[in-house]
Amino acid sequence: MTAQLTEAGPRAGGPRVRWFEAGTPIALAGTWLVLIVASALHRNDFLSHGTLLSIAFTMAVTGVLAVGQSVVAISGGILDLSVPAALIIPAFAIADLLDDGFSSGFAVTIGVLAGAGWGLINGLIIVAGKINPIIVTLGSNFVGVGVLYVLQKQAAVPTASGLRTWGQDYLFGLPNIWWPMLILIVVVGVLLPRTRIGRRTVAVGGNPVAAKARGISLRKTRLAVFTFSGTCGGIAAVLFSASTPQFVPTDSSTFLLPVIAAVIVAGISLSGGRGSVLTLLLSVGLLSTVPTALVFFGLNSNWQIVFQGLILIIAVSIDGRSQKKAK
Amino acid sequence: MTTNAPVRPTSPEVLPDFDIDRKKSGGRRVLEAVNTPTGTIGIALVIVVVVGLVWEGGGFTSSDNLANVGTFLAIPLIIATLSSIALLAGVVDLSVGSMVGFAAALFVQFVNKGYSPWIAAAITLLCAVIAGSINGLAIVGFGAEPVAATLGMLTALRGLCQVIVGPTGLSTALVLGLLEFTSKAYGPLPLLFLLGLALVAVVSILVGYTRVGRHIRASGGDARAAGRAGIGASRIRFFALILSAFGAGLGGILYAGQLGGASNVLGTGLEFQVYAALMIGGYSILRGGIGAPIGGLFGLLVVAGVQNIFDVKAINPYYLNVVIGLLLLLTVYGDRLRGGDRYE
Repeated sequence: MTAQLTEAGPRAGGPRVRWFEAGTPIALAGTWLVLIVASALHRNDFLSHGTLLSIAFTMAVTGVLAVGQSVVAISGGILDLSVPAALIIPAFAIADLLDDGFSSGFAVTIGVLAGAGWGLINGLIIVAGKINPIIVTLGSNFVGVGVLYVLQKQAAVPTASGLRTWGQDYLFGLPNIWWPMLILIVVVGVLLPRTRIGRRTVAVGGNPVAAKARGISLRKTRLAVFTFSGTCGGIAAVLFSASTPQFVPTDSSTFLLPVIAAVIVAGISLSGGRGSVLTLLLSVGLLSTVPTALVFFGLNSNWQIVFQGLILIIAVSIDGRSQKKAK
Repeated sequence: MTTNAPVRPTSPEVLPDFDIDRKKSGGRRVLEAVNTPTGTIGIALVIVVVVGLVWEGGGFTSSDNLANVGTFLAIPLIIATLSSIALLAGVVDLSVGSMVGFAAALFVQFVNKGYSPWIAAAITLLCAVIAGSINGLAIVGFGAEPVAATLGMLTALRGLCQVIVGPTGLSTALVLGLLEFTSKAYGPLPLLFLLGLALVAVVSILVGYTRVGRHIRASGGDARAAGRAGIGASRIRFFALILSAFGAGLGGILYAGQLGGASNVLGTGLEFQVYAALMIGGYSILRGGIGAPIGGLFGLLVVAGVQNIFDVKAINPYYLNVVIGLLLLLTVYGDRLRGGDRYE
């Protein structure tokens, strides 16, 4: 991957042949295939509908959150560390509204809006205070989860609610909650390089000074990016509350690492301006297969965490290496 | 663009003062001293103490309460002071929280296997140093983003900690010597806290007044400029990351001694509390070369003071996170107003 990058880098004048962009997806698909084949050879029963469902359930929430995180990374915002709060606050709102007897449609709408509002607050602090997003989102996550714990210790989604029924249902053999993730990744992946706001986002991430000189408003772009990231948190919260009967405010903290890992493994650089959201489908799929595969190899869930961490370290190292060479 | 000056306002005399002829009035001197990260956090600390005294009365400064705060703060202070060197060198090590849990679990495991506590501690610290070198290799060798790489290490070590502790989630080992050492106190203050203060003093001198310290701050401020000046920024960062891991490993062993065992959740979230306190105290997790150990100590004291007030007043402990988050945002905003990094 990296070798292709250095060779193609200087010669990549032609806009059509961009080998370094094809390298990551091919490597990811290859790794994924190797993992599946190895697990299937080890245990024949790996290739089952149960495995597929387990992977799809893992993919859904992580994938939606990863879309928001990638857009933040591409826009040069480095990382949105408030992912846990952006997920769990709308999830609590949805559960409470359903509990109070509101319709599922209303609860879902409010949930997504709550996510968008959360992202907007982050964006406003970043833009108005001119403070680095990592610190803002670190602080706002503290505040968000803290306030939630003060207000309410746990929430439960009523089993009879429409959302819960929908979350347990399947479409074409895959869980219902998997499909919105697929649609979001494809829509954002296709639109990001093809719409005005999308191209502006990439431009701001690649070179903010040049983008500003071309008349792109950094403030508006940043506000839009963080509002979008929050909205993804709201959408993820819908899928999360549709598939999780009960949760507490800290339940969402486990999502932060897989989300960041998915973004970096997908070749979306933390230094901004580079990467395709479509690749997320492969990286989220690969990373969601690892836990299931490890179970088949006889390792318990603690080892899954170890592997998740190691994968992240290796992925950031490769990202850092390609950054160094690109300079 | 004075942001890269190696010595930021900690010593006001260094600030360029163009009207040399005019004698500085006392008031202006005080103002300048206050208008530094350490000065601001000092004021915040005074406010916390005053609030505590008014709200709780004399009990706030009673020796019992001081002993409480000291015991609570001692080990985080040691961990934070050693990690702050990495921050100063321009790299952040988020893995310290899990490192504490991992080291405690490993130490307890070796003690239970029948090794002498000294050998167990030596092996544990060696493992911590190895984990630190992996961080260093990824960040310095490969140029990985420190926040993301050490977040990976944080998760991996938490997993290993849970694997070592096992399904019960708790393993006990009473090391009498260590228990005695960690619970010893001179007057109201625990010995460990005094040692932590001594460490702060040593590190203050190291980073403030020695060649090594200047090199650390220079490589954190601008690695490229430091490189041109003949300072090996990579090597300094590598060793700073190892030192940070070593400090967290030591903290884990001390916790294991103090608590008489290890659990699979020991140290969870400690990294964010330590770094929030350090940032409140004037460090930055994104930019090296700024901050002073004494500011870090003040930051930890402010957080511990607020926590103590909440404890005594039986306020919902989750408000603490809210307060930490708001303080963090306020300090970073204050630092920005003072001429810190603008994010645009």
